[in-house]
Amino acid sequence: MNVKDAVCPFCGCLCDDIEVEIEGDRLVGVTNACELGATKFLGGERLKSPIRREGKAWKEISYDEAIRYAADMLLDAERPLLYGWSGTHGEAQCVGVHMAELVRGVIDNTSSVCHGPSVLAIQEVGHPGCTLGVVKNRADLLIYWGSNPIDAHPRHLSRYTCYAEGFFLENAFRDRKVVVVDVRKTQTANIADEFVRVRPGGDYAILSALRTIVRGKTDTIPRMVAGVTRDQLIRVADLCLNAKFGAVYFGLGLTMIPGKYKNIRNAIELVTELNRHTKFTISAMRGHYNVYGSNEVNTWMTGYPFAIDFSRGIAFYNPGETTAVDVLARKECDAALIVGSDPAAHFPRRCIEHLAEIPVVQLDPYPNATTAFCKVQIPVAVTGVDAEGTAYRMDGVPIRTRKVLSSDYLSDEEVLSRMYALMQEALKR
Amino acid sequence: MKFLMNTGRTVNQGVTVENKGSVEYAREASTCFMHEFDMLELGVDDGDPVLVRGPVGEVVMRVKASVEVEIGTVFVPYGPYANHIVAADTHSTGMPDFKSHEVEIEPTDEEPKLVYELMEDLGGLAYER
Repeated sequence: MNVKDAVCPFCGCLCDDIEVEIEGDRLVGVTNACELGATKFLGGERLKSPIRREGKAWKEISYDEAIRYAADMLLDAERPLLYGWSGTHGEAQCVGVHMAELVRGVIDNTSSVCHGPSVLAIQEVGHPGCTLGVVKNRADLLIYWGSNPIDAHPRHLSRYTCYAEGFFLENAFRDRKVVVVDVRKTQTANIADEFVRVRPGGDYAILSALRTIVRGKTDTIPRMVAGVTRDQLIRVADLCLNAKFGAVYFGLGLTMIPGKYKNIRNAIELVTELNRHTKFTISAMRGHYNVYGSNEVNTWMTGYPFAIDFSRGIAFYNPGETTAVDVLARKECDAALIVGSDPAAHFPRRCIEHLAEIPVVQLDPYPNATTAFCKVQIPVAVTGVDAEGTAYRMDGVPIRTRKVLSSDYLSDEEVLSRMYALMQEALKR
Repeated sequence: MKFLMNTGRTVNQGVTVENKGSVEYAREASTCFMHEFDMLELGVDDGDPVLVRGPVGEVVMRVKASVEVEIGTVFVPYGPYANHIVAADTHSTGMPDFKSHEVEIEPTDEEPKLVYELMEDLGGLAYER
């Protein structure tokens, strides 16, 4: 049996034109997806049942026992951390926020280590963004800044930008110009009309130089700025000024370097500047398929997009203090619930050393690096494969992922709801 | 030799990311992409093990020549190898300096560890070996 228009649960592109082939209870073929998406659909060896660590061994346990352990762990903790959330659907994220409020914990999502700084910049100067559809149909200039979609978002170029048909462009492929700004000559750089190779850490200076040129103060620019010639900067500024509709897509190349959110702020302000001359937009290349959703859900439930601390009984937000890396590095939390992410693989070692010292429960279909630090891991269904739920695309468009396969695994939402019910019951007593 | 370490997504890292116990994931995440001129100066060939020392520790990776990286810099795919030596300071933003760490690299005879070995070094217990 073939299922059309399945939604890919890998990256923020959330491609909704995937065709999957099902044979019995197995997914055997994937069409239209990139290599990343196809591998995610086809899956690997999942954990068969919940597991519990006992000394130096692992023991299989029942869902009831695992869920009871997780609920008790959060109830017993003084300062629990509830982290992850980008690899699951919005309905599960909602339960997570309720749960964090109930136990006065800290809830943070993976955006604090990807586009958290972008959110901070947007809170300062706003977000002149638009949906991917507008860019697809109108943009004649694309700027990929500190992002490498060919490796990280392989279908971004073919579905939404360079290689996509555009309703208002006669020959989209020929008419669109591409600028890539990066410290590495990535594969994406190879398809650029103009590749700007910045010296590491020089992005802020380049953005400032471009703003200066756009403002007509070119004479004040030195011959070289952060490894880039003035002539090239003038060429890039001209491309921007002569575009009918320009779109900047920036990646972690701007958020993970010194300057952090100030780099993004400068990029947004360049786009604001360009909007005095032509139409320009800027958006983040969001990584996890529902990391945008975790920001949305947290914002409409608590007022803040990530790093929310309920210890005061109200939502408190202070990135740098209430963000997961900081909470762990300061050895502050005394229990951790991890959902839909793998901090042991993606956090600095000091954070992981603290995970080894506290009780950890993880909801994840697969054994991963964080499994090694768990007291209990509960396998769940994969959203978009054997569970359905809402996810937000990188441009903020909510898309309902589909369940294309039946399995006995519970979804994140089901496991979390059962945990939450136990916790509510215990607190009533 | 001193280098500036950059980290990021690669297709192979993304394809193997749901299977972190695999040899393929370990191989990709422990690859240190380096400019050929730097490899000459360091006296290492493609596939040779190197000891990468960062501000909070050291880890063994395998070097691979890359035309993408600039002289004086190395690129390592996101994962537990790079993060083994990355400091947790976030400068009050929540975000560590994942893409800009000064590291010291030298040839070594040691082999890169597997992911579960790295996790056990940090106090974990591997589920599968």
